[in-house]
Amino acid sequence: MLLVPCPYCGPRNSVDLRYGGESQPRPDPATATPEQWRGYLYRRDNPADWLRENWYCRSGCRRWFTVERNTATNEFRHPPMPGDKRGGKA
Amino acid sequence: MAESPAFESPVVRSYDTASDGALTLADASATVKWLVRASADGAVAGRLGAPFGSSRAAAGGALVLGSRPGEWIVLGEAGAVAEEVDGIDGLDPSDLVTALDWTHGRALFRVTGPEASAMLEKVCSLDWSDPMTPDGAVASASVAKVTCDLARNDLDGVPSYLIFCDRSFGQYLFDALIDAGNEFGLCVGPGGL
Repeated sequence: MLLVPCPYCGPRNSVDLRYGGESQPRPDPATATPEQWRGYLYRRDNPADWLRENWYCRSGCRRWFTVERNTATNEFRHPPMPGDKRGGKA
Repeated sequence: MAESPAFESPVVRSYDTASDGALTLADASATVKWLVRASADGAVAGRLGAPFGSSRAAAGGALVLGSRPGEWIVLGEAGAVAEEVDGIDGLDPSDLVTALDWTHGRALFRVTGPEASAMLEKVCSLDWSDPMTPDGAVASASVAKVTCDLARNDLDGVPSYLIFCDRSFGQYLFDALIDAGNEFGLCVGPGGL
């Protein structure tokens, strides 16, 4: 089981999330060349190393978030600590 | 708040009911439920008083659940819910606020008993231990592959969980919970919250 650290819900089974692919900066549509669009849409780095990815917490908070995953070891790292927005009865 | 038309539960099969089982499953779908969406840190959030992941029992008897960042479920008797949601969309004109009667759109089940968490662990990947999900905790997750909102709402110290899902999955989820609870002696209890 792959545990994905959602910044809102905490660690979640990856089946509760949707993988959104590599996170890349979107080119400016007004100035991007066809080559830049092709690269943005179809080219992936696919490193065996740390990779910045988008995930969607579809069964939980329904938020998109970006996290870094080591594609060789499946370790995760990202700035917000998982579970830091949860609490008990107010 | 407009009066709701007659409610029909999504659980249409009939079951033998008992109220004295160690683990009971009740269909509480007829409970009035409202969905509120607004910014997570605005005036509406302040009035509802239940941050994401937590719940609040209002003085009037309604239960307010912080189901997602900027999203709340208010449930209870119609009058108690009205106390919480009436006028909420006019609190802050700069905020985009949605308040929607969800009573007919969502199924609601209650599982109660000391083994309720063990039963839920069979169908949901969340950690249902007391430190992670104490009384009052709220979460959303897949239950038997159906996206659900869940809230722990103990009854007289006995662990009890509220499970919300889309109405169209209600019958399936009810049966899936019965299957999961069979080994714990689950019985179907009388309907209602």
